Amino acid sequence: MILQNLSIKRKLTLITMLTSSAALVLSALSFLIYDLVSFRHLLIQDLRTQAEIIGYNSAGAMEFKDVSAATATLSALTAKEDVVSAGLYGRDNKLFAHYSRNKNLISQLLPANSQDKGYRFEGGYLQVFHDVTLNGERLGTLFLQSDMRQWSIRARRYAGILFIFVLVSGLFAFLVSSRLQRLISRPILHLEDTMRMVSANRNYEVRATKSYGDEIGKLIDGFNTMLSEIQQRDMALRGANDELKSRTGELEKEILHRRQTQEELLKAKHVAEEASRAKSTFLANMSHELRTPLNAIIGYSEMLEEEARESGKSDGVHDLRKIQSAGKHLLSLINDVLDLSKIEAGKMGLHLENFDLAPLIDEMATTLQPAAAKNGNTIRLHVAKNLGAMHADVTKVRQILFNLLSNACKFTDHGTISVNVDESRFEGRDWIRFRVTDTGIGITAKQKENLFLEFSQADASISRKYGGTGLGLAITYRFVQLMKGRISVESEPGKGATFTVYLPAQVVAETSESARSTANSELAPASDESKARKDTILVIDDDASVRDLMSRFLSKMGFHVVVAANGEEGVRIARQVRPLVITLDVVMPECDGWTVLKKLKNDSDLADIPVIMVTIVDNEAMALDLGASNYLIKPVDRDRLAVLIEKHRAGHPATITGAAAAPFISNPPQRRRESERRASGKVDHAEDLVSRR
Amino acid sequence: MPKILLVEDNEMNRDMLSRRLQRKGYSVISAHDGEQGHSMACSEMPDLILMDISLPLMNGWEVTRLLKSNESTRHIPIIVLTAHALVTDRERAFEAGCDDYDTKPVEFGRLSEKIDNLLTVRKS
Repeated sequence: MILQNLSIKRKLTLITMLTSSAALVLSALSFLIYDLVSFRHLLIQDLRTQAEIIGYNSAGAMEFKDVSAATATLSALTAKEDVVSAGLYGRDNKLFAHYSRNKNLISQLLPANSQDKGYRFEGGYLQVFHDVTLNGERLGTLFLQSDMRQWSIRARRYAGILFIFVLVSGLFAFLVSSRLQRLISRPILHLEDTMRMVSANRNYEVRATKSYGDEIGKLIDGFNTMLSEIQQRDMALRGANDELKSRTGELEKEILHRRQTQEELLKAKHVAEEASRAKSTFLANMSHELRTPLNAIIGYSEMLEEEARESGKSDGVHDLRKIQSAGKHLLSLINDVLDLSKIEAGKMGLHLENFDLAPLIDEMATTLQPAAAKNGNTIRLHVAKNLGAMHADVTKVRQILFNLLSNACKFTDHGTISVNVDESRFEGRDWIRFRVTDTGIGITAKQKENLFLEFSQADASISRKYGGTGLGLAITYRFVQLMKGRISVESEPGKGATFTVYLPAQVVAETSESARSTANSELAPASDESKARKDTILVIDDDASVRDLMSRFLSKMGFHVVVAANGEEGVRIARQVRPLVITLDVVMPECDGWTVLKKLKNDSDLADIPVIMVTIVDNEAMALDLGASNYLIKPVDRDRLAVLIEKHRAGHPATITGAAAAPFISNPPQRRRESERRASGKVDHAEDLVSRR
Repeated sequence: MPKILLVEDNEMNRDMLSRRLQRKGYSVISAHDGEQGHSMACSEMPDLILMDISLPLMNGWEVTRLLKSNESTRHIPIIVLTAHALVTDRERAFEAGCDDYDTKPVEFGRLSEKIDNLLTVRKS
């Protein structure tokens, strides 16, 4: 483990040293061992030769039992340092003569059994036995013992040499390897340095230097390529980042700019609204201030006229009448201005009531008779026989008719003004159509463009010639709009004009506010009816207890509830009351819910009333296919029902601007003339709306 | 001779209306502010009151409410006259307990018709 963590430098040095030392030691050892083995062999040979020579030399002495001669022969061994002892044994194996380098050790040196032959190692000594023969006859045995001193000395010397040799060669290997390892370690260390620099400073511009073309060189090449890649990407990233930053900056500026603009706009809006309010208030106050003196002017002149007439001073009557008429004209102008300011301020409410149309038309004709007579015009009335009661703001209907008729009178000279009133049915409701046709100067296509705008009489010369503020048609248009009706004009210059006004037979108050105010008025039945249209829920169910429960629950929610016990009755009541929402049971005798639903949806008049199916039969798909708005399974979750009905109440057409959004409609398409269609953008647009319906 | 109380702050209108009413054969008393109108209504007990709305000291709504909540003056018919021809004015008038409502400048014929109606109703 320690080795593994060494630096590559050390590792390389160590590997080189260990390898070379091991090889050196191994080769030296094998040589040494070989040498020592062969040297020992040599020593054995030498000792045996010695034994042969001494045996030969001592054979005579043995024959003649000459101990001293034998001892003398043996003593020649003193020249041989390593022979420590020798002995001659007779045929009876008894010691005959002996030699010993150390005289005291004779007995110990002699072997117990002298019968052995050849050589052997015993106790660190080499022992040689040799037969002493003379003429082929064995006389005894010669025994030599050597302490191998020469071998030991040689071995020790060798060990020393080996040690020094290993030491020196190791040192040399160290020196060489520590120089040569740099070949490998230096580029690696350089690479490592470079990498550290890159990672520490995030500097991708540095490159490792390649020294050699070996694997490390390739590694460095690879590393450099990688670095360039990273550098490139880093630069691209930085570029993108910078761009992002600058874009973000731009966006922030943009946002800031917009916010400022928005604030400015908001301020401007507030200012404008404030100005508009101020204008309305001013106009209201102004008209009040103007009315008070007018009141006196008209009143006094009327009084004086009466007095003059009573006292018979008829010459003053004429002038007093002029004062009156001028005063009344001024009053009507002030009223117009006030009306417009009220409409603009959104303060113009609808005072809905039921009234008969025929008497109203007659009354209008009578009122305008003097104006018609002034220009020598005749008023002709064509009122449809079947005309019933209308539910609307009678004052405004009167004013609409008054404006149209007085215009017709004003712009027609010795002609006919006809008033056509009839009822028609489209878009699922009843409409009253008023058509005022004259044979007067007519209106050009260009004049039509601004016809219904405030203060825009067809021509400046007209106001000089005919008088008026030009507010009449603007107010008429606004009133028609207020009652969700439509107004259009058809004219050919020089031949007269026809103004057509469609008003719903049953005008619905625009907001719940005005509906409530209607309820407060003296006209109870009218208010009930308008309430019925807005808040009525029709419950169709054959089960009396369900009807009862639903009625109670819905009444608590503030709805007016009508019930029907079967499908037939349900459809009939739906037609009568036009409820906000119908809840419909499916399983009923005779006429089941599906049939009722189909009937309701096939009736153009009732198709837009949302139907909520309330049933135990789970067939939502069928319900929705047939046109039901929602589907509830009995027992009914009241909260869910409440939510659904509230949703329909919120989205009820009575509270949003429906058809009235179109400024006016023209006559049926087949009656339109090409020239009219080209008349103006405004008229074209209106006609498009109509033809699309 | 029915007695009519005219509460009106504008002198000319007061003069003109009272003279025309007198010519019609009514006995006319007049007040020029709300407080005077209230006290005169209580003391004189007129047969009918013509009430302007924009009055100093106490406005016409206030006077009407006071008179209509008073047991002794509740029966007196009140016609409110206002220069503001707003629908809300009309509602306020009935809310305050007025018996009728008309706008200024007064169309005298219509007004005297209304007066006649209310006086006849009261008589019958």
